[in-house]
Amino acid sequence: MDFDSNRKLIAAALAAAGRGDRNALQTIYRLTAAKLFAVCMRILDERSEAEDVLQEVYMTVWRKAGIFDPALSSPMTWLIAIARNRAIDHLRARSQNRHMTPIEEAAELADDKPTADAALQGAQEQAQLQRCLDTLAGHERAALRGAFFDGNTYEELAERMKVPLGTMKSWIRRAMIKLKACLEQ
Amino acid sequence: MTDIGNHESFSADEMLAAEYALGVLAGTEREAATRRVARERAFAALVAKWEERLAPWAAEIPELAPPPQVWERIAAALPRATGQRAGFWQSLVFWRSFGVVSALAAACLAVLLYLSAGSQAALVASIEGQGQRIFVASVDVKHATVTVMPVAYRPDPTRVPELWLIPSGGKPLPLGVLTADRTAQIAIPPALAAQARRDGILAVSLEPPGGSPTGQPTGPVIGSGRLTNL
Repeated sequence: MDFDSNRKLIAAALAAAGRGDRNALQTIYRLTAAKLFAVCMRILDERSEAEDVLQEVYMTVWRKAGIFDPALSSPMTWLIAIARNRAIDHLRARSQNRHMTPIEEAAELADDKPTADAALQGAQEQAQLQRCLDTLAGHERAALRGAFFDGNTYEELAERMKVPLGTMKSWIRRAMIKLKACLEQ
Repeated sequence: MTDIGNHESFSADEMLAAEYALGVLAGTEREAATRRVARERAFAALVAKWEERLAPWAAEIPELAPPPQVWERIAAALPRATGQRAGFWQSLVFWRSFGVVSALAAACLAVLLYLSAGSQAALVASIEGQGQRIFVASVDVKHATVTVMPVAYRPDPTRVPELWLIPSGGKPLPLGVLTADRTAQIAIPPALAAQARRDGILAVSLEPPGGSPTGQPTGPVIGSGRLTNL
């Protein structure tokens, strides 16, 4: 199924789930659970916790489907944001600090190979984001990756990249400004 | 908070929205931002824009199927379907207007549905067991959906009907739980869509509420039918 049909189907199913239609939630689950589970696993790196979070994610979708606003968000963006926020909440609630593996810029570049997954997310949006990420400095892109994919805080990123906290904040903020400017060109 | 220096092109709210959407905030800063998303529409819109900008990055993460128990736990936690208002799938004018016609007419109408929709790639199956047509199904290949209408299905007091796709020479693949009294429209997961082709078998088994816990049929198969072109 292509991106556009999926997008319409998920949006319609969200509207139906918002009216209390369980079948519609199941449709959303069947289409998106593998993606959202992968997002949770990437952040939490712990299977049973990621499964618990995935359950919370779809219960949140069930409760909030009625307030999903297609004018504000695309359905996949909305779902991914719920999954990331839930996973990050769990991550932050862990009592112990995670062992932070250092981020090497060279490794980041080697890892920087997006795989096409155009069924759930538009290929055009992916290509544009990638093009703009490529305009950032390597250390900026590496820091954003650590935040987006691993759920790192400013403090954790500073530790992983061995720079003072203030430097990390300024890297990320500058990177976000450049990213927005590029995406809006 | 560290001075944001020469970042004057962003308002403080815009920067906070970007940081929240990226996920770098922690502790009270994150909690405060979460509260503002819930309460302030303008701030929520800024966050939504940033989520939209960043979300395509998630396409890099390869999909990973969760175990079937996750959906079972979700289904068990949902309020029961009884008394629920008519849903989107059930309000389809087409099915509602033909809800009482005979099984044969239903099959003909499934044909007409796809012809009138201009679909080039539609398959139908009559799901039969013990000499009775119990469900009629049509597959819209282009949109990877299967629409299943109950015909002579008699509800089981403790179990629910679940639909399976059996590719020729393959194992049953779960498509979703059906209901006794309403037409179900089920999206075929992208991973299974290629299997929904001519001569595949659609089968219905009886499963615990929420569907088979194992991903394979656990109860009796009460009917099956072969997918054929229109």
